[in-house]
Amino acid sequence: MLSWSMAAPAIASAFVASLVEVVEALTIVLAVVALRGWRPAIAGTLAALAALCAMVILLGPLLELVPLHALQIAIGILLLLFGLGWLRKASLRAAGIVALHDEDAIFAAEKAELGAEVARRAASRDWIAGMAAFKAVLLEGLEVVFIVIAVGAGRGLLVPAGLGALGACIVVLIIGAAVHRPLSQVPENTLKFVVGVMLSSFGVFWTGEGLGVPWPGEDLALFGFGVLFLSTGLLSALAARRIGTVA
Amino acid sequence: MSLLRDILAELFSMFAGDAGLSTGIILIVAAAALASQFGAPLIGGALLLAGCLAVLAGAVLFAATKKK
Repeated sequence: MLSWSMAAPAIASAFVASLVEVVEALTIVLAVVALRGWRPAIAGTLAALAALCAMVILLGPLLELVPLHALQIAIGILLLLFGLGWLRKASLRAAGIVALHDEDAIFAAEKAELGAEVARRAASRDWIAGMAAFKAVLLEGLEVVFIVIAVGAGRGLLVPAGLGALGACIVVLIIGAAVHRPLSQVPENTLKFVVGVMLSSFGVFWTGEGLGVPWPGEDLALFGFGVLFLSTGLLSALAARRIGTVA
Repeated sequence: MSLLRDILAELFSMFAGDAGLSTGIILIVAAAALASQFGAPLIGGALLLAGCLAVLAGAVLFAATKKK
């Protein structure tokens, strides 16, 4: 039976993480639209989505062959590597040590770079533009696929996590199509902080379960881990800011 | 080839962008696994959680100090 104390964080993690990645991909796709129109942008995006779907279809049945404890340990370690990496970067951005992600600046840089490339190779302009959209959606989509598999595979939550990711894609596409410009108002670092906290919590939980740790409170332990990771991330950001100010 | 290189670079940066952080996590998981193997799974769990929190704080403060 579906446990909501486990399904809700899985769906929320997949939704928020996908929101961040889709916003980043949309910036590049819109740069392609601004230069060469919708046709190569849509073609590149659809080709990348097809490649990502093929990856999920190939990987899904393989995961079912792996024993549950081994799968939980492997996915837990990958989640820790990925989640703590995001949390570290988000803390450093919050502290002002690393520059914030600026969608407007990325849009301008991508447009200029793509414009120069298109001007150099007049014969294959749409191809170059389509490939840029393909690459952006594929690379950002890889992270979405990993997150969906990672938060969903350990407890048979692949479908709810996938729906969370799909929901994020739909939300960003609707807003992106309506405003027709990069979504620079999205508080990306805050979202990354939240995702880092969620993925790290899942990472500790799955790794522990795989090692046979009887977590007190069972699934509810996830929320306790979340509070601890959030506090540590915020306190580290504060301390890092202080170090930066003293310098 | 450039696409394949970009995909591999993306995968590498996803899981091993910071060598110190990645090494720390692997060592903590190994220590937790040892504790669980020797009949103390709860201690293994506590080690895993506390270790990950410590590695996170250490990685952020190390990067801030290095930047200084």
